[in-house]
Amino acid sequence: MKESVTELIYDGCMAMNAQDWQAFLALCEPEGFRYRITNYSPEILRTQCWMDRDFKGLKSIIELLPRHNTDHSPLTRHATVYKVRQDAQTGEVRAHTQLAIYRTELDGSNSHFDSGKTALWAIGRYEDRIRVGDGGARLLERNVVLDTRQIDIGSHLPL
Amino acid sequence: MSRTLEQWTRRPTLPDTHYLDTRVYTEPSIFEEEIERIFHRLWLPVCHESELPKPYDFRTSGVAGNKPLVIVRGADDKIRTFLNVCPHRGNTIVRSPAGSLLKAEPSGNPRNMTCMFHGWQFDATGKCVEIPREKAGYQERLCKSDVGLREIRTEVAHGGFIWVNLDDHCGPLSDFIAGAFDFMTTELDSEPLDIFHYQKSVIRTNYKLWHETSREFYHDYLHYHNRATGMTQKGYFDRKYSVFPNGHAATGLTTITYDAYEGNKDRGLTFPGMPKNGWKQLNIFPSCTYSLRASCLRVSVMTPISESETLIEIRGLGLKRDTPAEREERIADHDTIWGPFGRNLHEDLLAVKNQTVAMRRGSGSKYLLMAREENETIHDEVGLRSYFAEWSRRMNRRAADPMRSMDE
Repeated sequence: MKESVTELIYDGCMAMNAQDWQAFLALCEPEGFRYRITNYSPEILRTQCWMDRDFKGLKSIIELLPRHNTDHSPLTRHATVYKVRQDAQTGEVRAHTQLAIYRTELDGSNSHFDSGKTALWAIGRYEDRIRVGDGGARLLERNVVLDTRQIDIGSHLPL
Repeated sequence: MSRTLEQWTRRPTLPDTHYLDTRVYTEPSIFEEEIERIFHRLWLPVCHESELPKPYDFRTSGVAGNKPLVIVRGADDKIRTFLNVCPHRGNTIVRSPAGSLLKAEPSGNPRNMTCMFHGWQFDATGKCVEIPREKAGYQERLCKSDVGLREIRTEVAHGGFIWVNLDDHCGPLSDFIAGAFDFMTTELDSEPLDIFHYQKSVIRTNYKLWHETSREFYHDYLHYHNRATGMTQKGYFDRKYSVFPNGHAATGLTTITYDAYEGNKDRGLTFPGMPKNGWKQLNIFPSCTYSLRASCLRVSVMTPISESETLIEIRGLGLKRDTPAEREERIADHDTIWGPFGRNLHEDLLAVKNQTVAMRRGSGSKYLLMAREENETIHDEVGLRSYFAEWSRRMNRRAADPMRSMDE
């Protein structure tokens, strides 16, 4: 079980790093899927949500990317699965994965001076709810909990 | 036809109110003067009252010119602002972004602000209430009443925002606003608002460039969201742009077809007096924008750090009485467009960052145009012209020729 869960999480990172969004969506369970990006703000003393989408909403964001003006600097996710726990009754798995995201400049700033430079862009964790079945593991829910609260110009991409 | 250097640097054949010299964005000496003549004299919003809802709650903030501030709600419920600098040895007094003075510090009493360095304590009205070994050190030469905190003029208004002015001799906030908020009073002031979103980023751009993304709507072409939900709608280009005294400017009510963007929903929620799917926007000189899009209010505040660096803070607000389900809906509506993963914010920030790269000192950039005239409707650039008219009045410089004062 643990092996298929870690494989799912790492496959997801590799798909997103390659900007193969369809491959990432294929790892998610369309029915009831929820994708969120959240963080805790010590400025307003509450947890806040910066993105909340179901499967259809996430798919729509991805499919409309070509119509948007986006910073095309690639984001590279470096993940380490810390903990995997299965609920004995439901069989569902909860996984905690630490995450560091690096950005390699392409055209977001001055491409003549800056392109090719890599910098740490954000840190946080994935809190995943996963179902493991005969067909393999599928993401039921992902909460990307960011520790980083200043993320420059933001992004159009799922993390 | 492309142009030679001589042609490229020739002044546009337009009135000097309709173009500007890019040195208004890049010259350090102009930036320093802006801080002194504009930011140190005008009312600036620093946070929202819901960020410090209870007596003894505090919020730290700052305004241009490296002014660290602490905003405190007193036992009397009055909100006061102080320079967050200890008068003894210049240390920062309150370090956390937000919290309550009721929580004791390692060295200091609850209800007071304690400087951790030497234990000087100040109450929520700014009075110094404790100097360790006061008599032993200062005898009769200095006492607590000599060393209170520097208090900053503060008012709470326009949807519960906390406004400060560093000029002790300034007029009231209402004189400065000059009626600009009148068309949003029902929406903003009928009932208490509550913050649900806060984000900030230091962006490599001049503060005016970011503010200008709210001052002109011709850049609708940048945003697929605006093209899909706004520009294709009947009457969109008839939307009026209104100019107020002191450099403020507003775009009047329009209706947006939010569900025209695939995957988005109609806006079910609204604010008091705001029609379904409505949108109003007000720009306050020199660096604040209120944008009320149907279900959520976004307030954007810029704090200039240098001529090419700006702290941008964005707050999202709903109604205090929202149910959890309503609040969740407002948050989702807000983040679709304006969150750091929203569709428009990223595009606007990308644009101003690239402007800053292209216009850096010595790049060869010379004049920018703000000359569109469309009967003061949405793609007219009157919002930019009104901004620089006020800028010129306060700086005593023409934006089209900024290195000379108007007296020369």
